[in-house]
Amino acid sequence: MIAQEQKPMEEIMGYLEGKQKVVVMGCGGCATFYGTGDKKAVDSMAEQLAKEGKEVTKIVMPLGMQACETEKCSIFLQKNRSAVENCDAIMVMSCGDGVQVVTEYTDEEMGLAKEVYPVNDALGLVGGGPKKLKETCQSCGMCELGKTAGVCPLTACGKGLMNGPCGGVREGDKCEIDPDKDCAWVKIYKRMEKLGKLDAFEQMNDPHEWSKMKRPRLFELEKPMGMMDMMGAMMNLNTISGYMSMMFAKPPAEEEEAKKE
Amino acid sequence: MTDEVYSDLMREFKEGKYVFTGELEPEKAGNVNEPIEMAKELLGLVVACNVTDNPQSFAYVSSLAASYKIQKETGMECVYQLRCSDRNRMALLSDVLGAGTLGIKNILALAGDHVSLGDTPDAKPVFDLDSTTLIAMIRKMVDEGKDLGGNDIEDPPKLHVGGAAAPGAAHLKAEVGKVKKKINVGVEYLQTQVVYYTDVLDKFFNELGETDVPILVGIFPARTFGQADFFDKYVAGVDVPPDYLENMRATKQIKDKEKKKEEVDRVNMEFFTGFLEHLKGTPAAGCHMMAVGYPRIIPPLKKIIE
Repeated sequence: MIAQEQKPMEEIMGYLEGKQKVVVMGCGGCATFYGTGDKKAVDSMAEQLAKEGKEVTKIVMPLGMQACETEKCSIFLQKNRSAVENCDAIMVMSCGDGVQVVTEYTDEEMGLAKEVYPVNDALGLVGGGPKKLKETCQSCGMCELGKTAGVCPLTACGKGLMNGPCGGVREGDKCEIDPDKDCAWVKIYKRMEKLGKLDAFEQMNDPHEWSKMKRPRLFELEKPMGMMDMMGAMMNLNTISGYMSMMFAKPPAEEEEAKKE
Repeated sequence: MTDEVYSDLMREFKEGKYVFTGELEPEKAGNVNEPIEMAKELLGLVVACNVTDNPQSFAYVSSLAASYKIQKETGMECVYQLRCSDRNRMALLSDVLGAGTLGIKNILALAGDHVSLGDTPDAKPVFDLDSTTLIAMIRKMVDEGKDLGGNDIEDPPKLHVGGAAAPGAAHLKAEVGKVKKKINVGVEYLQTQVVYYTDVLDKFFNELGETDVPILVGIFPARTFGQADFFDKYVAGVDVPPDYLENMRATKQIKDKEKKKEEVDRVNMEFFTGFLEHLKGTPAAGCHMMAVGYPRIIPPLKKIIE
């Protein structure tokens, strides 16, 4: 998922200078998981803007309804057409994908030239959790994990080096750039050692093929997932049992605490 | 791999001489007057000088322009430091061709410090190649006359490529694994990051094992306490010994300029005599003396080894 955090209010208010009617639109995707575009976040933003004297219309998108998917996003924009038509600005509480889908849809499909602004800064594709997340993949289009014992040096190494650690590895195998981060290449070394593949560590990896990342990358799906397919996937017994297990399982942090006690 | 010898540095390695090199730092200026003056003072003391490429990611005069100008005006052979931090593979390739065109005979291929550590922290870090792939690219250009894409190079550059090693790296085995990659792709000599501790050096040589690639060990006799302190605080992968640092700090109190110089020299000689005597017994092929702006210390230090 795409990690994100809300921009400073000062920047947000800067976009809204001289504007009165504002639509605040959330996102039911990653932004809901990270609390930057869920109902609570939309309510809180609306409240802050109201205090500043703005007339706010809220658009809350429930879980599973992402702002970055035109089909879903359009339903909520059309439902609030009059507010959208009459507003001075739309503030989108999602990553940049959502902001741009809203921009494109209001402009090209609704025929409305509206000022659309980002509320959040997207911080990257992250994994892990529930509390600690880290960026592990940059969707480069040419996965190198098969050569690097399952750790992506392009992302996990601060310099994105493909052939071993730089000379700046700190005590505790930490990164030259940030002592809070682990050196990716020491991690790769340790993994290769465990896997009995240290011979491979001494062989050069070719430079990464950045030609696979010609931006913007465009895709066409042969069979897009329809709403019914999605409902089916969500109502699937395995999905439900998975969520049930999560509900009743103690989060890892609590488990650790329980063990200590 | 070619046996051709293009530079005096490589000639000395091949002849089995104990090799001494120095270091020159271009600055944030529209000229290289100061490194040129330093190069003149180092003539005859060292066979070649590294010309630094945006050290610690502070943006200075291009090391290629500086190498050319220093070499042309002083006759000091230069080792053109080339970092991957600021250039993609096309720019690196162009600069290597440029170096060949300008008569540069040695390149030290480096990954480089991250731009966020320097004075232009908002710059986009490049690292399109790393030090190993840069070394491999240069060898391909020189030996095969081909670029990365396999395209022919007319009149390929005639130069040698060295690489760095960091004996003080926190994880020595991973560091040595990387050094072995460099050896496997044809690095022609290695130059270590500054080392202060003999046991660190011994562990590095032990871990690396036997190699035909000549290794220069880096030392940094500081001219002032400020230099030593900067190294300790800001140079990645280097810890300056506290005793040496304290002795250098004490020289700050001396008001008489000549007496201060004498004391600084004494502190350096005291510290490095033991280190260099130990160095003689290691497999090192020579010593890279990063005595920036401090040429007077080089002759007495050389005497210890010679």
